[in-house]
Amino acid sequence: MTLQLHATPAEVMRGVEALQGFARAQGMPEKTIFGLALALEECGSNIVNHALQRDAQKQFQLVIEHTNHAFVIELRDGGPEFDPTAATDRTLRAEDDDLPGGWGIQLVRQNMDEIHYAREGNENVLRLIKRVNLSVDEK
Amino acid sequence: MSLSIQTINSSDPRQAGVVTIKLIGSLDTATAPELDRELTSCLAGRVNDLVFDLAELKFVSSAGLRLFQVARKQMVARGGGRASFINMQPQVEEVFVIIQSLPGIGVFKDIEALDRYLATRPRPNLWPGTQK
Repeated sequence: MTLQLHATPAEVMRGVEALQGFARAQGMPEKTIFGLALALEECGSNIVNHALQRDAQKQFQLVIEHTNHAFVIELRDGGPEFDPTAATDRTLRAEDDDLPGGWGIQLVRQNMDEIHYAREGNENVLRLIKRVNLSVDEK
Repeated sequence: MSLSIQTINSSDPRQAGVVTIKLIGSLDTATAPELDRELTSCLAGRVNDLVFDLAELKFVSSAGLRLFQVARKQMVARGGGRASFINMQPQVEEVFVIIQSLPGIGVFKDIEALDRYLATRPRPNLWPGTQK
């Protein structure tokens, strides 16, 4: 599934709702869907608020894929180069609320198995991967 | 996803200054400004204890946590005020772990547990000249 989203909070949530519907159709459990939705909301919000400065004329791309072994969320934006994975990996801390992306990236790490960043041309490409095994873990 | 907010001022004289904000739906990047406005209005009034009822809150992200943090800080800054949370659902609880150990935050299983706490807690008089 591929969506082009405008750089607004409402569009981030349109993407989240699309992901939730897609994941439910795939038979994913609600607990997993919650984590996927949370990761997408945090990363999408980061793109909208920081990379694209809430310029509704600008767009970013969301790709959602599900294989037998993984659920993949790919986000692609044309904002300034920014690697959210470069933030220090650490335990969630309440006092991080004043740091840009402080809680957000930590919540993403909490809910996804892999986070990959790449700068491709003029785009930031973020791939979030959740390993799933519906036959064993999820049913 | 949408957010519905119901604000209830306690009519029980023993709980004067207790305001309950019931959140229904999703507290996220798109709906957080709605709660922000409600909190601004609510905290301008006489509030000793701010209670968030999360029984029907289905989703919360860091955008929502930041508002809870703002409310907590404002209540603490008043000197003895507190933000409490009841009826938290399991998935929301996992997100909430970030802030639930902070001073000025109380997490209670349900309204009965909160009532027991409020009945025994020394009440701060945040509004001099008014009855506690």
